Amino acid sequence: MNNAPPTPVAITGVGCICAPGNNLAECMESLFKGERKLGPPMRFTSSHAITYPVFNIADDLTSLAIINTPDISRTGKLGLKAAFEAIACAGLDRQRLKSKRVGVCMGTTLGSVMNNADFYRAYLEDQDPDLAAITMYLQSNPASVIARELELTGPLQTVVNACSSSTDAIGIGAMWVRSGLCDIVLAGGADELSHIACNGFISLMITDSGPCKPFDRDRRGLNLGEGAAMLVLESEDSKKERGVQNRTFVLGYGASCDAYHLTAPHPEGRGLRRAVGEALAACGISAPDVAFVNAHGTGTPDNDRVESHVLCDMMPGVPFLSTKGYTGHTLGAAGAIEAAFTVACLEKGAIPASAGFTTPDPELPSSPVTGEMSIPGNVAVSESLAFGGHNGVLVFGKKEVLS
Amino acid sequence: MKIAINGIGAVGGFGCGTDALASALHSGRCEPGRAAVKTTRGPVEIPVYLADTSRLEDFVNKRALRRIDHFSKMALLGSHLALKEAGKLEEDHSRMGVIVATGYGAAHTTYDFLDSFLLQSDSFSSPTCFSSSVHNAAAASISMLLDITGPGLTVSQFEMSAASALLAARSWLEEGRVDSVLFGTVDEYCDVLGYCWHRFYGEKAAAPHEMRPLEFNMQSAIPGEGAVFFLLTAEGKETASPYGFIEDILIGRCGKGKIGAAQGTRLFIGADGNMTFSSYYKNHLPGGVPTTCYTPLYGSLPTGQAFDIAIAAISRMNGKVFPSPGAGGCADMPERPLGDDKIDCITIGGEGELASVILH
Repeated sequence: MNNAPPTPVAITGVGCICAPGNNLAECMESLFKGERKLGPPMRFTSSHAITYPVFNIADDLTSLAIINTPDISRTGKLGLKAAFEAIACAGLDRQRLKSKRVGVCMGTTLGSVMNNADFYRAYLEDQDPDLAAITMYLQSNPASVIARELELTGPLQTVVNACSSSTDAIGIGAMWVRSGLCDIVLAGGADELSHIACNGFISLMITDSGPCKPFDRDRRGLNLGEGAAMLVLESEDSKKERGVQNRTFVLGYGASCDAYHLTAPHPEGRGLRRAVGEALAACGISAPDVAFVNAHGTGTPDNDRVESHVLCDMMPGVPFLSTKGYTGHTLGAAGAIEAAFTVACLEKGAIPASAGFTTPDPELPSSPVTGEMSIPGNVAVSESLAFGGHNGVLVFGKKEVLS
Repeated sequence: MKIAINGIGAVGGFGCGTDALASALHSGRCEPGRAAVKTTRGPVEIPVYLADTSRLEDFVNKRALRRIDHFSKMALLGSHLALKEAGKLEEDHSRMGVIVATGYGAAHTTYDFLDSFLLQSDSFSSPTCFSSSVHNAAAASISMLLDITGPGLTVSQFEMSAASALLAARSWLEEGRVDSVLFGTVDEYCDVLGYCWHRFYGEKAAAPHEMRPLEFNMQSAIPGEGAVFFLLTAEGKETASPYGFIEDILIGRCGKGKIGAAQGTRLFIGADGNMTFSSYYKNHLPGGVPTTCYTPLYGSLPTGQAFDIAIAAISRMNGKVFPSPGAGGCADMPERPLGDDKIDCITIGGEGELASVILH
């Protein structure tokens, strides 16, 4: 990094939809009640011998007020839903956004893949399938969906870094604001539940047939989920012009490659250590200043082992939790949803219990929080580890950090 | 901040390496291969610009490549060629980042994964195909085989992919997160893409065996595949920069008027004979600005803009602008000296999205 710490970037709005709730307030209420809303998949069936539970969102999003191109994927609609909430939360509207340089940086996995199973099945069976499925795919790039709907003309980027996609999208969005490329960036991520992704994770034998248990001795894998979250990142000039009060900031971002394996994390957490170190160093924050960590915590044996060791070594004694016990693993949306929760918990001054954790694993040097906990500090960290060995880490801080 | 291009690695229908691309530029010719597409009336053949990755074995042993698919092989070959050209293949890569842009990702492996359970049952889903089908598989393979431990990023923004990903490269260099970025693009052809292509355009193609991208009223696109990689550093940190510098990257939308072009700018446009995009070029290109188009050398693919950036860099190194290849348009124009002119590589996406990458 350059010698001067990068300027913090203000978060002026947050939106979130996932299994716990249809907006951030509902989600937080559900998390602090300890609810775990998982069940069988609602939108597809599977021929596996057992049913793997998932975290569905019941809402079919048909009431979402989409003006331009309503025929888009569920991932696109989830992203839009979260974007609408974030924009309203920031006190912005369509008209106001049009007068500013606004970029969109979105993370996803399924939202960028041309893999419509019905279309492909019909293709295999020589049925000349309707090309509407392909047209919908071409219209559903998650960043383009938001830009098209809100008539934004700034830079677009859909990050497809697997499970760290939206952590990276927020880090990149903050860079766009910091460099002066944009006044505002809508940054986040979205992903829908899919039969195809479920088959993939089941085939890798990293899916739990019961509720996931991140960091627990008896953890057996992840549960998949769906959702989206968006942050409004805004420049100081834009904030000043709108008369917006300081709230919470993106302070730091670190990213790295393990350069080790396509699906397993580096056993010593080489890349994660580097990403955590860079993210903290970027904003001049030391480990004791961190109030809590929202860990990636998928519930898979490998991920949680590596993360536990890295957390113990780099941020000893700092409370941590995984929120995937409430949301499932929402893949490309996970980093953004966890960023939204991290910001909301920081502002609330409390974190919920790490859902699914009951029995400490003697092989892990650290364990997550077991109950709701007050958090007096002003800084929090959110981590993401991804297929391909990509790691992304964000540091968030309340306005008090700046003084 | 200007970005220095230290090395380029390219593979596509024209062959492998910058020499092959330069050779195609000089000759103005690149013959597409053929691929069979199934239809309800039986298979038909369509022209496709296909890439051969056999030269990857010059860099990576066969055993290490046995589970790596064609998509990642193209990216790996482009990466190795770019690093070799920059003299950085054997050096420490801990302060290097890797960025890959792709429109459709590992298309072939994506459908292989679907085959694994649609043709049998869910319990036959292939874990190998699944893990290789994720869009960032190529970036992962590059980081693993070249031991690149800086940040990694994969971007998928259809026609805007290359320029959008370049913004990230510039940000990383500006903030000092890395000393260099191995930046590249990759897209592959597969049977399903060919099928969709034929359904959308096959019957309409007036000249399906020859691209005529500057004849904006004609559907003449031919699908292509390939990869282009660049080793980038901040200006002043380059070991050598015979290719010049990326001076600016702009992403926006076509407005109501013409695209602006400063005096002393040459336009390299990404028109690819696809009428979905042609009307934008027709309506928004400024008059009186020297304009060339090289898509008949590499075909139609979402990340084609990266080939134009490579061609612009080769043009800078040679000090001349090559004529547009293929029939029609500016094909009869001779090579022209470039002088101190800038080159603006312009690509327009299906919704009027506009990306401009300026080299000088």
